[in-house]
Amino acid sequence: MAGHDDSGASGKKSSENEVPTFNVENMQSNMKVVYYSRTFMSIIGGVIAGILGFTGLMGFVVYVLVMAITSVCLTAKAGFSIHSYFDSWNRVLMDGFLGGLLSFVLFWTFAYDIVHIF
Amino acid sequence: MTTSMSFVVGVIAVLMLSHAAYSTIQYRALLKITEDEFSGPPFEVLVELTLVLILSLFAGLTVPGNFRSILPDSDENRVVSLPSNMNFMIFNHRGKAFPTETDLKLN
Repeated sequence: MAGHDDSGASGKKSSENEVPTFNVENMQSNMKVVYYSRTFMSIIGGVIAGILGFTGLMGFVVYVLVMAITSVCLTAKAGFSIHSYFDSWNRVLMDGFLGGLLSFVLFWTFAYDIVHIF
Repeated sequence: MTTSMSFVVGVIAVLMLSHAAYSTIQYRALLKITEDEFSGPPFEVLVELTLVLILSLFAGLTVPGNFRSILPDSDENRVVSLPSNMNFMIFNHRGKAFPTETDLKLN
């Protein structure tokens, strides 16, 4: 075939499941959506934990709870067919977890100080 | 258009959050006067915080945008589109003025 394809971003990431290639540019856009959602929910969860007055381990329990709810909602947004939007479950479940933890702790201490100390 | 509505919902959630924080501060000031201990914010604040959680879940999932499919055989991921494939060039010429014979046969 003499024609050549577009310069579309169809990367050839071969993995061992049955879809050997996928579109990397859309994959990165999906990762960005997941990251934004998780960061926003971490911030909101942090302020809620600060207002409620949680200290110590209970606050981290709140964080894990908020992240679990966000994961369930992200899975529902993807229509429960993860494999047509991401290449593995870990991407949508585990990706923004630690980065969100830092934002959560920041806004948690911030809100706790404003509401309970000053 | 729906993203701007979700953005408004997100802004409302943040405003309700600051309102809940303010009422908790006032509640604590009241407790300081009556020398009670803080065991939890009042019931209205709890209801407001639940509402904030639901609204911000909705806004946080809708505002960043939709998921796009990564499979190469879905409709929006067509790699080769017909006009740009060199084997199938389409020209616009005056041959369209000729009447078309649809039952031509090779003899």
